[in-house]
This record gives sequence, C-alpha cells and structure tokens, in this order.
Amino acid sequence: MTVNDSSSKKVSRRTVLKAAATAGALQLVPPFIIKARGEEPVRLGLDNPLTGTYAALGKNELYGCKLALEQINAKGGILGRKAELLVEDSTSGDAGTTVQKARKLIDRDHVNFLIGNINSALALAMAAVAYEKGVFMIDPGGHTDAVTGTSCHWNVFRICNPTQTEANAVAGTLIRDFGKKWYYITPDYAFGHTLEAGMIKAAAKLGGTRVGGALTPLGTTDFSSYLIAAQAAKPDVIIFLVQGDDQVNALKQAVQFGLQKRFHLAGAQGELEPQEGLPPEARIGTWVFEWYWKQPGVPHVAEFVAAIKKMSGRVPTARTWFGYAATWTCALAANGAKSLEAVKMAKFLQGYHLPPEVALMPNGAFFRAGQNQLIGDLYVGHAQAHGSAPDDLFKVTDVVKGIDISGTLEDTGCKMTWPA
Amino acid sequence: MTQLILFNVFNGLIIGAFYALMALGLSLILNLSGVINFAHGGFLAIGGYLAYVLIPFVGFWGALLIAPFLTAFIGLVVERVLIRRLYGRDQLYSLLLTFGLAYIFEDGTRFIWGAQSVPYQVPDWLMQPLSVEYFFLTGYRVFMVILVGVAVAGLFLILNRTRLGMRIRAGTLDLETVSVLGVNVRILRTLNFGLGIYLAGLAGVLAAGMLGLSPTIGNSLIMPSFVAIIVGGLGSLPGTLLGGLLIGVASGLTTMFFPSASEAVIYIMMGIVLLVRPRGLLGEEGRF
Repeated sequence: MTVNDSSSKKVSRRTVLKAAATAGALQLVPPFIIKARGEEPVRLGLDNPLTGTYAALGKNELYGCKLALEQINAKGGILGRKAELLVEDSTSGDAGTTVQKARKLIDRDHVNFLIGNINSALALAMAAVAYEKGVFMIDPGGHTDAVTGTSCHWNVFRICNPTQTEANAVAGTLIRDFGKKWYYITPDYAFGHTLEAGMIKAAAKLGGTRVGGALTPLGTTDFSSYLIAAQAAKPDVIIFLVQGDDQVNALKQAVQFGLQKRFHLAGAQGELEPQEGLPPEARIGTWVFEWYWKQPGVPHVAEFVAAIKKMSGRVPTARTWFGYAATWTCALAANGAKSLEAVKMAKFLQGYHLPPEVALMPNGAFFRAGQNQLIGDLYVGHAQAHGSAPDDLFKVTDVVKGIDISGTLEDTGCKMTWPA
Repeated sequence: MTQLILFNVFNGLIIGAFYALMALGLSLILNLSGVINFAHGGFLAIGGYLAYVLIPFVGFWGALLIAPFLTAFIGLVVERVLIRRLYGRDQLYSLLLTFGLAYIFEDGTRFIWGAQSVPYQVPDWLMQPLSVEYFFLTGYRVFMVILVGVAVAGLFLILNRTRLGMRIRAGTLDLETVSVLGVNVRILRTLNFGLGIYLAGLAGVLAAGMLGLSPTIGNSLIMPSFVAIIVGGLGSLPGTLLGGLLIGVASGLTTMFFPSASEAVIYIMMGIVLLVRPRGLLGEEGRF
C-alpha cells in the first residue's frame, strides 16, 4: 500500500462522531433494535477441563453439549435465536484459571448460561462467580454435596448426583454381599472428602465400619504404598473413590498386586472412561454408574447412542449425557420461562421434569424444588472384562430410583435465598 | 509395623529405580548441553504410545526393543531442528522451548490417541505377584528393576568404555577443549541428546505397563526426576541414581504416616539437601 493509499483511507474525527451519533440514535428505536438483537445468538459458556487428569471426561461432556446444541438449533434455537457454545479449558485442578475463564465468559463474552465443572472444587468456585454475577449456571459433573447442599444458590443447578446419593445407592449391596469393614482410597479434594463422608454415613446406618483410609493427591501415579497400607488393614472391601486417570492407575496396580483375590474392590462412582482405559483383567468390582448407554427398552436412548457414535465414534458415557442434559436444560429453561432472565429461568425449573428424550432414564428425572438438583435413576452393577459389545464394560444389576435414596430437602442443608 | 516399613522401603526402591531412569536421561542432556529438558515427560509419553501402537504387531518384547529407539530418533530430529539453535544462549531459551514442546507433545498425543487412557497389555505372566506375602513384588516390577539395572549398567559402560562415552564425559568437564581437540561437538551433543531421550522412551514403555497410558503420563514423573538430580548432585550420574532411589523410599515411607504429604516430602528433602549440601549428595563437578 502506498502512502497515498493509506492517507486516502484515513478516518476523520467527523466520521467517527457521525458513526457514534448514528449508533446512539439507533438505540432509541426499540422495534428495530429488538429485531436486530433477535439475530444475536444466545451464548452458552462451557468452562470445563480439556487438559489434565479429567480431560477425557471433559471431552465427553463436550460431545454431549455439542449434540444438544445441534438439536436445539435444529428445533428453532433458544427463544427463536441461534444457540452458540463458547468453550474454555478450565484445567483439571487450577481454581485460579477456572475462575478467570468464568469471569471472561461472563464479562467479555456475555454468556447467558455458564456450564461446568467436572472437578467439584472448581464447580464450587464457578458457582460463587455465577452467584455474584447473577448468571444462570448448571454444573453437569461436579459431584460434591455442597453444590446443591450447604453452598446451594438459586441460580446454580446440577445434573450429576451428590456424592451422598451415590454412596446411598451402593452401600447396601456392598455390605450385604461383601462385608462391613471398608478401607478407603480417597482423592484429597472436595469431591473425595464428601464422597468418603457419604460412604461412611451410609455404611454406618447398615452397621459398616471404616477400618482405614488414605487421602491421595490428585494426579497420583503410584498407588502401591496406599495399597500396601490397605491390605495391612485387612478390610472386607477396598473402596476406590479416586477418579479419571487416577482410578486407572489405582485399579491397574491393585490387580497387579493380586488384591482382587483377597478383598472385594469397589467404588461409589464408576465411569465408562476409566474402564475403557483398563486392561480386561482390571475391569472388576462393584460400582455405581449415573447413566449407562445400554438400557434396553428405555425410549430415545438408542437414538442418542447412535447420534453420539456418529459424532465421536464411540458410545456415550455418563459424562456425555451430563453435557447433553445440561445444555438441553438451558434451552428448556429459557424457552419455558420465555425469558433469558436468570431468576425467571430458575423459577421455571423448580420441580421441572425433563422430557423423556432428554432424561433418557427408565423412571425419568426432575429438578427438586428448593435444591436445584436433578434427581433421576442410578445404576448399580459390576465392571466386566467383555460384554455383548466392545464398549459394554458394565453389567447393571439394579436400577435405583434417585428419589428413594436422596433424603429430604432438609437433609441436604440447602437454604436458598432468592433475590428480592 | 516393622513389616509395613520394610514393604514400603522395598516398594520405594522399585519406584525410585524408575525415577532414576528418567533422571539419568535428563541429567545426561543437562550435563553436556546445559538444556533443562522439560519435554522429557513428553518423550516418555511418546515412548509409551509408540509401544502401544507396536504391541499388536511385534508383541510387548518387540515394542520394548523398538519403541525407545524410535523415541530417540524423534529426539534426534527435535535436537537438530530446534534445540541445536539455542546452544550457547542463556539456558532460559532452551528451558522455554522445551516447556513449550512439553505442551505440544501432550496435545499431540491427545490429538492422535485421544484424551482417555488406553488399555496397554503386558504379558499375563508378568502381571502376577511373586508371593502372597510380598504381594507388591509383581513379576512386572521385578522385571522393571532388572531392566533399569541393565540400562544403567549399559549407560555406565558406554560412558566409561567407549570412545563416545569418554568424549561425552570430557565434554561435560570442558566442551571447549574437547572441540579444540578435533571432536565434532555438534554430533556429540546430538548423540548425547538421543541417548538421553532413549532412556525417556524406555521409561515410557515401562511406565505404561504399570500406570494408565494417557497423554499426561509424563507430567507427574518429570518433577520427581528433577528432584532426583538435585538431591543426588548436578553433574553426577551415580548421584542421580542415588537421588532417584532416595526420593522413592522417602515418598513411600511418608505414605504410611502422612499420605497427603507423600508428594511434598520429596521437595522438603530437596530443600534440606540444598541447605545442608547445596551441590547435592554426590555433586562433584565432572564426576560420572
């Protein structure tokens, strides 16, 4: 470009003033503005792990979000506007980064919905930001009780189960079939602490006792010292509460040590992702799954499985469904409330039952009023080396109704204060 | 209790041997080229994934043989294309480069093989404990220690009995003089880098059999390896070996009494060594 070219394209002060005045005048013409804003997409901000120990889980939640978004837009979007997903990597354990990304999504990108986080501690940190900003938030997969318990907020909803519910689902089976003395291998952060407390509480009601336990830092690779301590405590059951890659490492090493021949191995929260990462001989033990892809006879599940397989090449996991249900919940809340105001959407969802094509469970799922917690079914069973299909690595033995094991609203400790 | 302590000491030695293998590769590169290779964990992951790809075709033993060499070859390419340009500059440059490479390797492996752990099969007979009482002594762990022993012995033989090894040792002491004496320092550095990365690749093949193979497999192993170098003494390969074993035992023992400090203890140990003996336990400059 020559100097003359450049000078000919100079923007004068007068032009800028004219442009500013025009933009200002446009704001005074409501019908046109409303129409123009109707073209703006509705933004959903996902702040979830894409790297670190929870990367695989995060990626599957993302697949669920993407499929839901496609379906939402195919059905006319949110309030007639196109829905758009903005994705940020929260990391797997850095609260500072997560909060910074959440603030960026809210303040700079002006998202209408905030979605996240797999790590419970990060979910709590995001919930605090969402509450401060009054933005509608949904936690797809952070399980610690406090999210919809003692730290609940009117604008924060959750898809996955609280840790206490998961513990209640499996405790009876373990005590009845395998014994009352349990040793815990627990991740040392909010999720692990509440899950272990939940297991201890659920076991105590049935006469179970804690004979020992170890808190393991997130990202632990070598579990041998913990396993040595576990066998020395001579429990009936070793309870693995670690998740993601940590669970793969722990189970792999436990099986190498032959511990499965001397103790029963189990966990309160099982997921398909770690099972897929394990060699066949280490796919063992009793677990609770919060959703499973193989549910013969349950309407719409087959279509959902096929759509996710087409998108990702693999069957959906509970994480995929968490992301799917979370994204759909945003659209259903806005369309149901006919508004994007967080208060109106949150009020609309009180006691709301998800439609069967989103719930994808035999007994349906609903948001408990006054807690904002989705209550659906839980699947108790055992891991299997090989099933009827390559990804069929879990045998469901019992479908438990969430409402039967969720306690009362008072039990949760949630005391919600709505804005005036 | 005594038995439990003994269990943890033995177990710590097994894990420590593994840290030492990682740390020896790091130390070789650091000593000769002055490169603090933060991408070492990434090379470890590549070694593991290459073995994962090779196992269906050549079996575990074939993969164990081939994958470390392929990893070393990738290391040679990285050294020639990228790292070589930074020799002679402030160490911060190579540190930043390898720091970036570590992220590229992690995301690259995630892009190719996915974020999820992949099932990595080692021969069934290796996956059994050798006795009910000493259940933590599995065939695989014993094999791993033997292999680490062979690798370390081989490395020390190369360094002490071959022309290449002698040049590497001499270069560590005074690279300029070695260069003046007619040794091609560029090739020497490249081969030394490849040797260090070979050890990372070997560590990756071994680690994948014990841990879950995921793109982040190297992340949690890289810091203990650096600590092993510092505790053992910069410039000393026997020191690095000792450092690896010591931190493995310290971490194992701490798990018994205060599990949540099992990671912190190695850094506390490093702090104490730096305060009491800043050059590390065997840190005599130039000693191998």
